[in-house]
Amino acid sequence: MARMQQSTSKKRRRRPEQARGKMKKRVCHFCSERVDYIDYKDVAILRKYMSDRAKIRARRVTGNCPRHQREVAVAIKSAREMALLPYLGTGR
Amino acid sequence: MRTYELMTIHRPALEESDVRDRVTDVEKYLENAGGKVTSTDIWGKRRFAYEIDHLSEGYYTVVTFEAETEAVDGLDRMLSLSDEVLRHKVVRPGA
Repeated sequence: MARMQQSTSKKRRRRPEQARGKMKKRVCHFCSERVDYIDYKDVAILRKYMSDRAKIRARRVTGNCPRHQREVAVAIKSAREMALLPYLGTGR
Repeated sequence: MRTYELMTIHRPALEESDVRDRVTDVEKYLENAGGKVTSTDIWGKRRFAYEIDHLSEGYYTVVTFEAETEAVDGLDRMLSLSDEVLRHKVVRPGA
């Protein structure tokens, strides 16, 4: 029991101060490229925002701004409906 | 009049020329309904990311057009009823 508690607290431990400080703040790719429409047909771009298990990557991973993250998510979902992208990946 | 984009997936058992005919039917329908077709793109056969009706590929086509809302409703019904069309999607790009 006591050992279990110890292991969970270990997992929750924060990254050392130094590493956190080094984390680069990513700028939204679509903002910097001034993309005004994210096309659901452009599978190659959308793939970059999916994990190998075909899940949509979180905003904190992609570094997208709220608006573009939302547009990416909608585009991926549209592409899935048309079988351009999978709902489930084969990864792992 | 609004700009729309239609994507359809036709059954893989069809001939490519049949698919072309089906797409021209759609174009004719739109023009009769007072619309204007700006571009049509026949992608050809493409593998699906997952099986649809136990099929693993289909003919993809993309048609961009301008039309009234009522015309799109009719188009939607027409494609839903068609046995040759596996799936279709109408979007308004940039809106």
